[in-house]
Amino acid sequence: MALGLVGDWWQPFTQFDGVTVVHVDLVRHEVNERAAWAWLDAEERRRAQRFQHIGARRRYVLCRASLRSLLCSALDCDNQRLAFDTAEHGKPFATVDGRPAPISFNVSHSGQHGLIALASRGRVGVDVEERVPQRNLDTLVEAVFGPDERADVAAAGGSQKLRLFLDLWTMKEALSKALGTGLSMDVSVFEVPQTMRQGAASGSFRFAEVPDVTWRLHNIGTERFAAAVAHEDGGR
Amino acid sequence: MSNTEDRIRTLIDDNLHIEGREPGEPLNHDRSIVDSGVSSTDVVAFWKLVCEEFGIDISAEEFGELLTPSDLVAYLDART
Repeated sequence: MALGLVGDWWQPFTQFDGVTVVHVDLVRHEVNERAAWAWLDAEERRRAQRFQHIGARRRYVLCRASLRSLLCSALDCDNQRLAFDTAEHGKPFATVDGRPAPISFNVSHSGQHGLIALASRGRVGVDVEERVPQRNLDTLVEAVFGPDERADVAAAGGSQKLRLFLDLWTMKEALSKALGTGLSMDVSVFEVPQTMRQGAASGSFRFAEVPDVTWRLHNIGTERFAAAVAHEDGGR
Repeated sequence: MSNTEDRIRTLIDDNLHIEGREPGEPLNHDRSIVDSGVSSTDVVAFWKLVCEEFGIDISAEEFGELLTPSDLVAYLDART
């Protein structure tokens, strides 16, 4: 398996502000899946075997092996020296020889697409969602959006409603994942900056509870999937 | 099967796409929903639908810890 930003099933997607985002191809591929399995440690293999369905297992294995390769390349270390630990709320971080590594990362996958964001400074969060219909769209809009966001989605017509929902959802998920709370956070309590709701590709954001930290938010979605990255501005 | 289990199973059948499982097929109550290939949007919608069905508020943080159908049923039986 190749080491670095370009691999057998992953390649650079975009880069900005010290953040590198890599796209992972999660289409079924037996050769790649065997190669990926070899990169996992015993705990990761146990985790993979807990997945009920082969598709969920494949996404985990391919993303995890890509992540290992990318981190080994960035940290100039062997795979055997690399391990993972988790912070509060379960956000993972990398360790080398048992010590926290000087790099932040975050992983997301949806359908056939995985994204891995890496940052040498500051916390980072990424989220991707395939642009597929949502069976409970109205329930989701009520659950996860604030009043101005709900009004924007309500004003969007036809297919634009789903498109805007997924764009805003991935931005909010990227922010909550960067903060380290993920799904345990009620994301309806904050709203995506107005300029980004109206189409700007990037913007700045602050959580009311953590006003001294500024996050740079990037909408990196395509026609195939919605996606966003949040990165701690000026973080160490 | 408890009434709570029936109601949770119906909500899952109607709202969660668990890879490799068709609605109505046996449900593994001790497997994490997140490990079943369910999308994050479906998990959030399911959280809200559970709150509506049982007429209670479950915080996002609490729901994030109810990983399996068994966990969820036990929580709801204790709260309702």
